[in-house]
Amino acid sequence: MVRPIEQGTADNDNWDSQIRKGWLELAILASLWSEKLYGLDILRRLEADSDLIVAEGTIYPILNRLKRDGLVDSKWVESQGGHPRKYYSLTTSGRRRTLVMARHASQFLTRIQGLIAPLVALPEEEKR
Amino acid sequence: MNHPERLQTRIDAYLMRLRRSLGELPPEEVADILREIRGHILERAEATGAMTDERLAAILKALGRPEDIAPLYQAEALMARARTSYSPTLLLRGALRWAMLSVKGFAIFLAGLIGYGIAIGFLGGAIGKVIAPDQVGAWVSPGSFSIGTSSSDVARDILGWWLVPIGLAVGALGLVVTTRVLRWALGFAKVRKALPGEETGT
Repeated sequence: MVRPIEQGTADNDNWDSQIRKGWLELAILASLWSEKLYGLDILRRLEADSDLIVAEGTIYPILNRLKRDGLVDSKWVESQGGHPRKYYSLTTSGRRRTLVMARHASQFLTRIQGLIAPLVALPEEEKR
Repeated sequence: MNHPERLQTRIDAYLMRLRRSLGELPPEEVADILREIRGHILERAEATGAMTDERLAAILKALGRPEDIAPLYQAEALMARARTSYSPTLLLRGALRWAMLSVKGFAIFLAGLIGYGIAIGFLGGAIGKVIAPDQVGAWVSPGSFSIGTSSSDVARDILGWWLVPIGLAVGALGLVVTTRVLRWALGFAKVRKALPGEETGT
């Protein structure tokens, strides 16, 4: 029995969150391309431009790992609000990595799109 | 009703759960993480205007359970775990992984093997001396030194029963020092596979 995806079965939820997770790293790197941002900035940007966030807390460990890998750098900056913010910026190797990832991702999307576009365009009576 | 203290207590409780789950990370990294997450919660809270229990609950829910977030900080699997581990096998596995990627890593892996090897040699000598006092010793002959059994006529056992305490002490020290050095060295490892088409700059 095939259930429509809108029902959000446990299986679909899991698949969905796996996909989001896979894209999140690139989305974070891409959001840092033109400016330094702190965690909440990045979240706001991702909320506006993508639908990738499952739990907000997950971006912090990713940023932590990106820093450990030398792809981003971070710096604490005092804010007017009183609490310091940790700003992230791409390093040289981070910029290089982001471009390569973007290219791979784009090619990948194009191929997948070729495979699934006909399914989405199917008339209702054939979707069974 | 607005109870700033109670809300503060809830935030602290959340951060405390996170701290507990982060247990294995170095303390300064834990402090950094908590500072960042606290900042997130406070800034989200300020953005919502008057703070209520419900709003704080929503902020914490959006953030996720501390028990789910904490493992992600250690999720670089092997390397991250190795860095904060005291287990020789885990440390050596981490070093071996690094060894496959760089000469530095190979040197560290080799140093780890030799360090643990010497430590085990001394510990083994100490235990062997107890089991077979006549055959096992610290043998010195012109130009060589070995711990264990010796078939050479000119070799002299220089330590005698002292091999037991000295072997245990040097062996234990060797284990501790090698473990410390590996943990320290793995902190510098960059383990990330290059994508095809990406030059590895460093």
